[in-house]
Order: sequence, then structure tokens, then C-alpha cells
Amino acid sequence: MKQFRRIVEKIIEGLLTVSGAITSIAILLIVIFLFKEGIGLFSSPAVEKGYALYVNSKNNVSNLTVEDIKKIFDSEVSSWKQFSGNDQEIKVFRFEEIFDIYSEEQLGVEYSLLPNKLGEIILQNPNIIAYLPIEYAPSEVLGIKELPIKSISINNFFGGEEWIPTATPAPLFGLLPLLLGTLLVSIVAILFALPLGLGVAIYLSELAGERTRKFMKPTIELLAGIPSVVYGFFGLVVLVPIVQKTLGLPVGETAFTGSLLLAIMALPTIITVAEDAMRNTPRSVREASLALGATHWQTIYRVIIPYSVSGISAAIVLGIGRAIGETMAVLMVTGNAAVMPHSLFESARTIPATIAAELGEAPAGGAHYQSLFLLGTILFIITLIISITAEVISKKQPNTGE
Amino acid sequence: MDKKISQQIAFWIFRVLGILVIVILFWILGFIIYNGIGVISWEFLSTSPTEGMTSGGILPAIVGTVYLVIGSMIFALPLGIMSAIYTNEYAGNSWVVKFIRVMTNNLGGIPSIVFGLFGMVLFVNTLGFGDSILSGSLTLGLLVLPLIIRTTEEALRAVPNSYRTGSLALGATKLQTIRKVVLPAALPNITTGVILSIGRVSGETAPILFTVAAYFLPKLPNSILDQAMALPYHLYVIATSGTDIEASRPIAYGTALVLISIVLLMNLLATFLRRYFERHKR
Amino acid sequence: MEKKILALITLLLITLSVNAQRIKGSDTVLPLTQKEAESYNKTHSSSTISVTGGGSGVGISALLSGTTDIAQASRKIKFAEKQKLKKGGQKAVEIIVAYDALAVVVNPSNKVTNLTREELEAIFTGKIKNWKEVGGEDLVIVPYSRETSSGTYEFFKANVLNNKNYMNGIMSMPATGAIVQSISQTKGAIGYIGLAYLNKDIKAIHVSYDNGKTYIAPSVENAKNKSYPIVRPLYYYYEAGLESKVKPFIEYVLSTTGQKIVSEVGFIPVK
Repeated sequence: MKQFRRIVEKIIEGLLTVSGAITSIAILLIVIFLFKEGIGLFSSPAVEKGYALYVNSKNNVSNLTVEDIKKIFDSEVSSWKQFSGNDQEIKVFRFEEIFDIYSEEQLGVEYSLLPNKLGEIILQNPNIIAYLPIEYAPSEVLGIKELPIKSISINNFFGGEEWIPTATPAPLFGLLPLLLGTLLVSIVAILFALPLGLGVAIYLSELAGERTRKFMKPTIELLAGIPSVVYGFFGLVVLVPIVQKTLGLPVGETAFTGSLLLAIMALPTIITVAEDAMRNTPRSVREASLALGATHWQTIYRVIIPYSVSGISAAIVLGIGRAIGETMAVLMVTGNAAVMPHSLFESARTIPATIAAELGEAPAGGAHYQSLFLLGTILFIITLIISITAEVISKKQPNTGE
Repeated sequence: MDKKISQQIAFWIFRVLGILVIVILFWILGFIIYNGIGVISWEFLSTSPTEGMTSGGILPAIVGTVYLVIGSMIFALPLGIMSAIYTNEYAGNSWVVKFIRVMTNNLGGIPSIVFGLFGMVLFVNTLGFGDSILSGSLTLGLLVLPLIIRTTEEALRAVPNSYRTGSLALGATKLQTIRKVVLPAALPNITTGVILSIGRVSGETAPILFTVAAYFLPKLPNSILDQAMALPYHLYVIATSGTDIEASRPIAYGTALVLISIVLLMNLLATFLRRYFERHKR
Repeated sequence: MEKKILALITLLLITLSVNAQRIKGSDTVLPLTQKEAESYNKTHSSSTISVTGGGSGVGISALLSGTTDIAQASRKIKFAEKQKLKKGGQKAVEIIVAYDALAVVVNPSNKVTNLTREELEAIFTGKIKNWKEVGGEDLVIVPYSRETSSGTYEFFKANVLNNKNYMNGIMSMPATGAIVQSISQTKGAIGYIGLAYLNKDIKAIHVSYDNGKTYIAPSVENAKNKSYPIVRPLYYYYEAGLESKVKPFIEYVLSTTGQKIVSEVGFIPVK
């Protein structure tokens, strides 16, 4: 019987060891899955998979960037001259248009006549650029040239200034508007939350009486526990109209509103961590200062704060981390326009909001799907850096010796 | 005199800031309670939405949230407690433990949308569970795991070592000691952690967006492979979709109130328990 | 303690009953499907249906990956999407369940009532930026759009914008309800919504597709008699192999009772 129990105990202890590893395994899995999908973006062709661009061979254009393709199909550029071709008007042809010209019967069973018909159109129009599925394209025909399509480059993603993931034919996956939007909203939020949070932390650790502290700590924990979506609802119904009216803006959904909301959400983090740091200042240091004739206030700003600066910095960093990762609240109040942010009082789009808003419709495995995973990877890396930074900072302790 | 005046000014500013934070909290809470209280009724809590979500109740959302809480706890509790037992009771202070602690902290700092993304690709797609209570529970369980580990570790650390040595001296094995002496002593604080986790799980939206949430279910889910409605998602869709936003607004307030009440309740319960056990420590 | 947990899990796994019917997709069709499901459930209490929104793109994407039985869509399935299904040996069956007039809406205080398609295209692509350019006050135009996953977004782009891309800084709202709310609060706003979402807080624009000769208001009658130019079918797509599973509900939607609900919600019955 004792033998059996020993075995059972060994098994359980083995289980315990494995459980210890669970969080490390989880992080590993997250990194693997996110990264694997995200990296796939750079091997995806710049136009939708299975499609290509075809021009007439007489057209000597050979290279188009994704931005060029977008401008052509948006009719922002009308002449081939822009791309070192002839000075002729560009005729844009989208695959779906063939169905307006020919009926289903004329295209043959299983669309067998489709490539021919498409080929005719291209040959007849020397200035045409056609966006066609490779399967039905008249690629073998003389007189028709397929434009080489590059894969989405790292530059396109990290340096691109436009995020238009469903543009046809070539979607634009520029990270910059999203990254800048995220940073703008989060940093301004901390600018609001820091003085307020620090002030309250000082109040709690130095000024408040026992009873007040007993009342305020749970209150702040409550503020921390309010779900993001409830903050978002509050922001949508209360803050947005207020911001719109008080600042006279054309619209209340702005980065500014997002920052206000995020500031409130990051407050509890900043307050608790900063307050903890300040309370941990040793009595000896405090009393030394007071003994030297400093007032309480002077002690605070000359002694306690510098002493707890590592804890306060950790608080700021953690607050930023909280703000950057927020999804629902931001989604509901910032207007979500994917533009390079020019002003705090315009709409902006953050990385988490983008993922939440677009993930549902991105077909699994497509370029859009991969780009969202890449966004997720970047978000993960940012918060990892923040997490590690906060830990490193808070470990640094100043000398107590004088 | 100058020193004293600047101190007075500074201190008054801080008092005002302290009051400001309280005011903000009460503003938000008050806004929801004021607008939502009229909507709450037994009917609201026990019937399904009707008339295109403009009247009726939110029962399926409440039930869905309950299922998700239970589901996520089934995964996170045993794993979390066992993990904390390992790091605190077995592994000593080696670099392994330090590494695990860092990993746990990092997991805790990951934004909830990343969990949603991961949950979707792993549980919904790769493992093929589809969007279901199973996928949602696993994802939420992962989200709340660091919280449970952290609170359990603290609870275990708070148990005096004399308990352990005493038990071992009496001839018990390490495992028996943990099971019969340490865990029961740590149970109150562990419970507090569990209660806080329940509050956390009830309010999360991003992880359930792509792993379980449905807009409308005429009937309650009856298997773990079904989709479910959930309170936070319900608030989100009622506030932003539906044909008659004006008419469904009261339901939104009601949902927000129920959601906040759950969180409030859990927080109060946890604080109360914490103080109770502190007072009764032997 | 562990034993209890195991028992619970086994119990839950045992209740793996017949899967619920899932309907996902368009936010435009969402209110219709929700009401149909609500009503269907009253007379067919053994059925289980779950309805989720997210946009037509979400629905069709789910159809392609097999995570939904019916995809509700406010745009036609794309050729590429049909081909993807084909590659997997499946076929999408298309059913039109209703017609929807797409209304262009502005804030009630906006004096502009008539706009041509060309003006709409210019506004939403960012070429016209101020209301005074189309006969209104000197006020910045704030265009609102649905998210990229929306069929309404795609339909508007193809039909009104002639496939041009929307302007860069357009306000992107997660759902039509949010668009309605924002437009009712913003003086210079303009957006597009399904007719069923029209209410007293916003004003509908009369649209001209013949260069200004006639301007038609969006309404159920004008959609029925084809005078209003922006009308689109609302679809249910399902994979041919699942026909027996989804047939009962679809037949219900197409029945007289179901079509009556279509009218009630504000769409046009298939007749």
C-alpha cells in the first residue's frame, strides 16, 4: 500500500512540475503561433493570392509599386507617362467587368472561353491594365504581358503610411498610422494620468489618515476592476458628446477622447504602484530629513520621491503598458480612422482596435489575416519590453547610505 | 513662513486630486446606476431578449457569462494552484523559479486582444473546437492564469514555515503536508484570488470576440461546443449595433449595471474576506 | 475535489448534442435574422440557432472555414470566394431573403437634401471636403463608413463609388448603429445605412443617378418600383452539403410569416 502511495505521490509531483512550466509553455506557444502567421505576410504577393496584373505587350511599363497600383485603380493617376510609359490614358479593367460584357453561356462551360475573351479585350486595348485571376488569365497569349508582382516587403509594412487592407487590387499594409495612433493615444493618456496618479499616491501614502486610506484603497481597486467595455460605453455616451460640445469639434470621436478614457483606466495602476513605492521609504530616511528641519512637503519632494523614483518609473511604464493594450474602450471612442495622426483632435486608430475590428472578416491564411497576426506580434513584443523594463527599473534601489 | 505656505498649497492640491479620483469613480458608477436601475427587474434578469433586442431581458448573456466563468475556472484553478505549489514549495530559489516568475509576470501583462488572437488560432482553428464555450473558457482561463498563480503564491508564502516543519517532523510526506496543512491554511487568500479572477473573467470582451460570443441565441446553449452570449459582449453590441439604438439603450444600461454589480460584488467580497481573515489570524 | 471536476467535465462532454445552427455575417441583415430566429423558435422549439454579426466579410469567411452554417451577407459572394469553396469540393448556394435600399444620411440640421452619385463619390473619396461645395453651409464634411468587413461597405464602394477606394481619413465605425448615433450628433456628418436603420434622428438624402435630372428619396415603395437606384439584395449563403440542416429555417424566412417579418424590420420582401 505504501508503495502505491509513493507512486501516486511521484506522479502528482511530476504533474506539479509540469504545471510550473505552464506559463512558460503558454508564452512560447503564443510567440510561435503569432509569429509564424505574421511572418507569412512577407511571403505573400502584393496583390491578392491567385491574382495578377496584365498589360498589353506594347506597354513598356515593367514595375509598379503597391502605392502605384492603388493610385491607378483609384483613378488618381490617369496617364502611363507617370510610370515611364507612353503618354496614354490608363484604362482600368477589373475581372468582374467581364461578366457585365458577356453572359454566362458565352463564357462556356466551366468558363472555358473566359481566358480567350479576356485576351481579346487586352489585345484590343493597348492602354489597358487588367486585374485578373491567374487561373483564367490569357497568360500564354502573345501580346499580353504579366506584370511581375513582388511580395509585400518589410518596407511596405514598417514604413507604409496607409493601412487599407481591403483595397483592390493591392491592399496596403502600412504600420505607421496604427503605431503612431497607438503611441499618441497612450502617451497623452499617461501625460494626463501621471500628475493625477502621482498626486493621489502622495496623498494616500503621506497625507491620508487610516480611515481615509481604508476607504480609498478599495475605491481605487474598484476603478481598476471596471471592465473595459463599460468604460467604452461610458466614453461613447458621455465623454464623446462632452468633448464635441466643449471643444467645438466637428466630431467627438477623437484620439483626445481616447486618451481621456485611457487616463482614467491607467490611474489605478499608477496610483497603486507609486504608492507602494513611496510607503516603502524607510522611516530612518524620512525622520532624518525632518530632523534636519525640512517640512513634510519638502521631505516629500526632496527625499521620498527621489528615493522611490524607481518604483514611480515602474508605475509609469506599467501604466503605459495598460494603455497600449486597451482594446474595447478605445474601439468605441476614437473613431478608428486609419490615418497618420496629424492632430490630437482627429480620429485615430490603434493596433488593438484594428485587430478587434478586422480579424473577423480576414479569411484565414490570406494576407490580411497574416497582417493582423503581425500586428499582434508587434503588440506582444511592445508589452513584453514594457513588462521587462518595469521589472528591471523596480529592482534598482538607490543607496540608503549617506 | 514660505515653507509652511507652499506646503499648505501642495497638500491642498493633493487632497483635491484625491477627491477628484473619487469623483470620477462615482461619476461613472452613478451614471450607470442612475440610468440602469430602472431597467433591472426580475423579468430583465430571467428572460431572453425580444422585439429585436429592444425589450425583454438578458438571461442568455448572464447564463453565458456564468458558463464562461465556470469553464475558465475549471482550467485555470487546478493548473494555477499546482503551478504556484511547484514554484513555492518545490523549486527553491534557483534560476528556474526566477525564470518561471518572469514568464508568469509577462503573461500577465499581455493585452487581452492578443489572448483573443491566440485563442482563435489555437483553439478555434488549429484544434478545431470552433467558436464555442470550450474555446472561450480555455482562452479566458489562460488570461486569468497569471492572476491565480500570483495570488496563490502569495497565499502560500504567507503560511508560516513552522507549519511545514511541524508537519514534516510528525512524519508526513511533503505532499501530505501540502495537502493537509499548507493548502488549508492558505485557502482563505486563495479564495480571495479566485473571487477577483471571477470578477476579471466576467468583464473581458476581447478574448471572447472570436472564440465564443454570439449576438443572439433564442435558447440557452446546451453543450460546450455551442456559442454563447456573454454580458460584456452583449453590452458592446447593444451599444453599437441593432436597428434601434435609442430603443435598446435602456437594455445597454441594464447590462452595464449587471456587469458592474458583479465586479463590485466580487471586489467587496474579496476585500471583506481579506479583512476577516486578517483579523482572525492565529 | 479533482473527482468532482472530472465528473463535471464528463457530464458536459456527454451533452454534446446535435450542433446548433449557426448564422453569421452581415450587420445589415442581423436585425432581420435575429427577429426571424426569435419568431422561428416560438414555433420550432426543438431547434437551436445562434446568430452573430460582424459584417458580411465575417460571415463569408466563416462559411469558407466551415465555422458557420449560414452566412448572411449584404453583398454578393465574390468570384474568388466561390472558387475557394470550389477548391475544397464545396459549393455555395445563394438565397435572396430580402431587398434593402441603402440610404445616404446626414444630420437633420443639414440643409442639403439632393445629391448626385458623382457628388457622393467625390465626397466619400475625399475630393469634396466642404458642404458649401454642394450647396450647403460652410461646414467641413465628416464622412462615416462601415468597417472593411461590411458588405454594405463593399456594396457602397462598388455601386456608388464606382469601385474607387474610400478616402484615407474616413471615420470607420464598427456597426451601423454607431454610424446612426454619430451622425445624429455631428452637424457635418454624412454616412450610408440600410433603410431599416433610418430613424427620426437622421435625415435621408434624395439621390440622383441621372446627373441631376431626378432625385429620388429612399423608401420601401421607391425600392419596390425600382425608382430608387441604390437597392441591393440581402443573401443567405450556405454550403450545398448542409442543405438538409438549414432548409427548414430558410423556408421559414421565405414563407409568408417570414416575409412579413422582413417588412416589419424595414426591408423589402422578396415577393
